[in-house]
Amino acid sequence: MVELIPLFMFGAVCLVLLFGYPVAYSLAGTALLFAGIGIVTDTFASAFLHALPSRIYGILTNQTLMAVPLFVLMGTLLEKSKVAENLLNSMALLFGRLRGGLGISVTLVGMLLAASTGIVGATVVTMGLLSLPTMLKRGYSPSLATGSICATGTLGQIIPPSIALVLLGDVLSSAYQQAQINMGLFSPETVSVGDLFVGALIPGLLLVLCYVVYICLVAWLKPTSAPALTANDLEVESERRVSFIGSLVPPLLLILAVLGSILAGIATPTEAAGVGAMGALLLALSQKQLSKEKLREVVISTTQITCMVFLILIGAALFSLVFRGFGGDDLVHGVFEDMPGGVWGATLIVMLVIFFLGFILDFIEITFVVVPIVAPVLLTLGLDPVWLGIMIAINLQTSFLTPPFGFSLFYLRGVAPESVKTVEIYKGVTPFILIQLCMLFVLALWPGLITWLPGLLSR
Amino acid sequence: DSDQTYRWSLLTSWPKNFPGLGVAPENFAKMVDDMSGGRLKIRVFGAGEVVPGFEVFDAISNGTAEMGHSGSYYWKGKLPAAQFFAAIPFGMTASETNGWLQYGGGMALWEELYRPHGVVPLAAGSTGTQMGGWFNKEINSIEDLEGLKMRIPGLGGEVLSRAGGVPVSLPGGEIFTALQTGAIDAVEWVGPYNDRAFGLNTAAQYYYYPGWHEPGSMFEFIVNEEAFQTLPEDLQAIVRQAAKTASYDMLVEYDARNIEALNQLQESGVELRRFPEDLLQKLQGYADEVVQELAEQDPMATRIYESYRAYQQGAAAYNHVAEQAYIETRGQ
Amino acid sequence: MLQQLCETIDGFTEVVGRATAWLLPVMMALMFLVVVLRYLFNTGSIALQESVMYLHAILFMTASAFTLKHDGHVRVDIFYRTLSPRGRAVINLLGTLFLLLPVCLFTGWFCFGYVAKSWALMEASPESGGLPLVYLLKSLMLVLVVTMTLQGIAELARNLMILVGRYPTLVAKEGASLG
Ligand code: NA
Ligand code: NA
Repeated sequence: MVELIPLFMFGAVCLVLLFGYPVAYSLAGTALLFAGIGIVTDTFASAFLHALPSRIYGILTNQTLMAVPLFVLMGTLLEKSKVAENLLNSMALLFGRLRGGLGISVTLVGMLLAASTGIVGATVVTMGLLSLPTMLKRGYSPSLATGSICATGTLGQIIPPSIALVLLGDVLSSAYQQAQINMGLFSPETVSVGDLFVGALIPGLLLVLCYVVYICLVAWLKPTSAPALTANDLEVESERRVSFIGSLVPPLLLILAVLGSILAGIATPTEAAGVGAMGALLLALSQKQLSKEKLREVVISTTQITCMVFLILIGAALFSLVFRGFGGDDLVHGVFEDMPGGVWGATLIVMLVIFFLGFILDFIEITFVVVPIVAPVLLTLGLDPVWLGIMIAINLQTSFLTPPFGFSLFYLRGVAPESVKTVEIYKGVTPFILIQLCMLFVLALWPGLITWLPGLLSR
Repeated sequence: DSDQTYRWSLLTSWPKNFPGLGVAPENFAKMVDDMSGGRLKIRVFGAGEVVPGFEVFDAISNGTAEMGHSGSYYWKGKLPAAQFFAAIPFGMTASETNGWLQYGGGMALWEELYRPHGVVPLAAGSTGTQMGGWFNKEINSIEDLEGLKMRIPGLGGEVLSRAGGVPVSLPGGEIFTALQTGAIDAVEWVGPYNDRAFGLNTAAQYYYYPGWHEPGSMFEFIVNEEAFQTLPEDLQAIVRQAAKTASYDMLVEYDARNIEALNQLQESGVELRRFPEDLLQKLQGYADEVVQELAEQDPMATRIYESYRAYQQGAAAYNHVAEQAYIETRGQ
Repeated sequence: MLQQLCETIDGFTEVVGRATAWLLPVMMALMFLVVVLRYLFNTGSIALQESVMYLHAILFMTASAFTLKHDGHVRVDIFYRTLSPRGRAVINLLGTLFLLLPVCLFTGWFCFGYVAKSWALMEASPESGGLPLVYLLKSLMLVLVVTMTLQGIAELARNLMILVGRYPTLVAKEGASLG
């Protein structure tokens, strides 16, 4: 009974979240309640609670997370100065009367942004700020708009360079060595972060392609949910060719510059967010779109979004600490101990557990809790480490999208206008979840889609 | 009562299963379990599982867990003098450091330094002499260090900065990408065994030696003093002995595994290079300054420095006619 | 009385939050400077890198209460949005009482000793050349706790007033439905 407490905790926090009090306090408060009961009934290792300040300090000093406020600042600047809206409108114009043109533009811009950072909070929020208002204005159904934004924003996790893959690569590389030493191989093969980056390329691009195809399909079957530009729009817009180029080129250059500064070795991915924000500020100023009043709005709104993201991280830290104090990791361990059905059964169970943990625990937590336990076992059974890494990453990405709880959903809800109903977001992401699940299935059938490119490059 | 079972947690500063460093505490826990007939069960946690890697000292000091495995140079911000028990640029090698700790008065100083924090230190193994690092620029003279952007933490970074280089602080997750894209020119990590596992050979061309900045990095087990006192005497002795064995084991494991790993790195096309002699001499000059300043920070640091310095001078003189003389004679 | 309490705290939170928000462009500029110095001038400083981190930490540790005041912390609002203002006030009252305030008190309790220890050592950066102000950085935890507890009390007062039908702006805005 006692060993099942972590399970009750999971259930209880889901219930508390549904009451609608802010997510951060619901996570932390529920955990605390359980810790209190645990201390009174002597079923909880209360010493673990002393780790809370260290955990918070870890979040304060995590340099990677500095990308969040800067990336969000870039997004808010581009939105409030109307640069984003003009960019997306111009891109949609490129697609002319093709229905869904705006949706495709958003997905492509999202892909570029996703390449620039791997922090889910940063990409989902930025995408939401950049494109949601324009899509709604253009008559897109809130479901399609929020669904495609959420899905594209979460892509940042697997399109390299991605922090998530780096963390996973670290843990997998150690697990792979461990697995080979267990098998008696003392000059083990290695797997590097670079291998994971290369392995993620084809699946990442395939996902983008699937999203685009899906948007076209919806636009074709249900024109009202993704309207094309009207003849009138086209006329008005094409009369302004100059402004067309003017609104298309600079922001695209900016986004490319962010990515380019990483690839050219000018900035690290975290610093690139700062470069992007600075660029957005200059762009907004040069287009005379930024009054002091607007700048005030920008910094205040960015500050609030940043606080929203970080308080969730702090709440999740307390939750996972108590989850551990009750032996939640033992419970996870136990599930894996008697894994049935050989390598495929084992992989399926691992994927399912990771999927459910992804509702509440964040990427870092899962990478550190689950992967070190399961990876050596699975790799000893003969799985390819790059394949396993990418499958875990896509699986988590799917989990973050899955209603009713998931980090991407929390973050998008946080920046979506009040008029968009949460249920509409849930409806909107469902097809994208199905696409991702299909992709996982395809990658399981044809692992070569992941392993071919890294194999080719290492030769 | 001799049949009571004690359950401890051991927090480390490394990812779980991290080759070498992460394996030592696992071996230690297994040894303690065997030696105590299961009366002391120790559970090992990787960095970030309970607390982030750099918070282990605080966690042991405040009783979050009973034990930790880490490196004392991470506590520089709290106890600058702690760095003497991990790595000093142009300082002592692993076997010299072990001699100083066990027979040269080092251990008593280490215990004295940690006592106000309720923490007991135990030596916990060494990586041996590390490598100089991975470079995408050739280093032919001290001028080549001018403006060189390198991930090199701690005292080594301070020395580099005095030589005109630019030590860069990077989160662990960005080190690889930064080296690969050229955002930084060089990275120091550990030695062949860990560097190969990290895949640094796929991000840089030159592998320089020797690791002047970490000539024999010593790691530590730290134990919460109160928890240690509550153990019966025999279990206390088991913890101490198992730590000694784990410490010995880690050093020889690194020695053995580095041989094979270096071969494989060279086969994969890495260019192995030695830092020029005059460059090393100049760096040593800067290092002496830096360490001198560290020694002047507080009276405790001065005492530790003097003890360290005296032992190193004696050891150097003796090694000159013993191991060093022999290895030079042997050739290969 | 309740109303005065609520207004005083709201005012304080608003001033602090608005001031803190302006650290954001400073943080951006410094981050940009780090890149420019390293790439164009092959130089840099750990202290400069760390100061970006400090600004980042100050931003979200100090302005979270401000975000609470503006209802900026995201909710799973599938049911919440269907509730009447009174229903929402009940959720917020209970949430503040049983989730927010206990979390603040608990966090404060556990962080106090941790921060005090850092002050006793005047803890400096673990990096060579870093800022010797770690004890201030750690003190941000107490800043979060204090500002959040204050704003929590204000929320408590606000929602109580809504429940008894005496919250002025709400009465003005939705007076008809509240009767
Ligand atoms: Na990415
Ligand atoms: Na090193």
